[in-house]
Amino acid sequence: MIKLYGIIILVAILGGVGYGAKYYYDTTQNTIAQLRENNSQLEVAVQTANESVETLQGDIAKMASLNRNLQEDLQKAEAYSDELRGKLSRLDLVVEALKNAKLLEGKMNGATANLWRDFMVDTGNSNEYPLPNWLQQSPTGAGNQNSSEGGKNSDTSGSTTEVTPTQ
Amino acid sequence: MKVEKTQIPVVARPKSLQLNDTRVFVVTKDNFEEFQEEFTELYGEFAFVALSMKDYENLALNIADIKRFLEQQNEIILYYEKAVTEEPKE
Repeated sequence: MIKLYGIIILVAILGGVGYGAKYYYDTTQNTIAQLRENNSQLEVAVQTANESVETLQGDIAKMASLNRNLQEDLQKAEAYSDELRGKLSRLDLVVEALKNAKLLEGKMNGATANLWRDFMVDTGNSNEYPLPNWLQQSPTGAGNQNSSEGGKNSDTSGSTTEVTPTQ
Repeated sequence: MKVEKTQIPVVARPKSLQLNDTRVFVVTKDNFEEFQEEFTELYGEFAFVALSMKDYENLALNIADIKRFLEQQNEIILYYEKAVTEEPKE
């Protein structure tokens, strides 16, 4: 009888141990699965964060470069105005007119014609517009000097009409 | 955290300028008669707008300043266009 009780107790103990082992195994497997899932989510999060950092760094570099270029271009746009102001301060137009009115007139008309063309180009008009006939037939005869608004000479008949470049 | 960019379409620019040529005459007491003759021959009537040299200078400076503003405005628009445009990835 004692032997029978001993066997029952032994079986109970073994059953308890087996159940405990099974419980431990299941719990551990669940934990591993959960951790694996968390890990993959974290990997995705880290990858997203890295990509975001790269994107932001790229944007910062791009904006810095754009900003630098913008400042340079804004400065360049001041050139025409500054040049004209300088020329007008050096020249006395009244004296120039009294010296040679036709020469000054040619320079003024040339500069104005080019200015209008530059305006058109600046706003995207890429058509070529010939100079007006009064510029092409300017009747004066003097050298290729700077006009009051500065620039290249584009006469077509040996006249002194000056045409202003802009930028 | 994921960086989401707002997509801003680049819009078309306004119609470009189409300007007319303008002519100035430089007139002094020495060439006034010649000017009167040439002007009347060209335009029929002897009526014109006169500007002093100082006012001509001011007009030129004003237009130069408008040109400066236009160019700078263009550059700023270009800046924004580039800023909202994705560069193709290599």
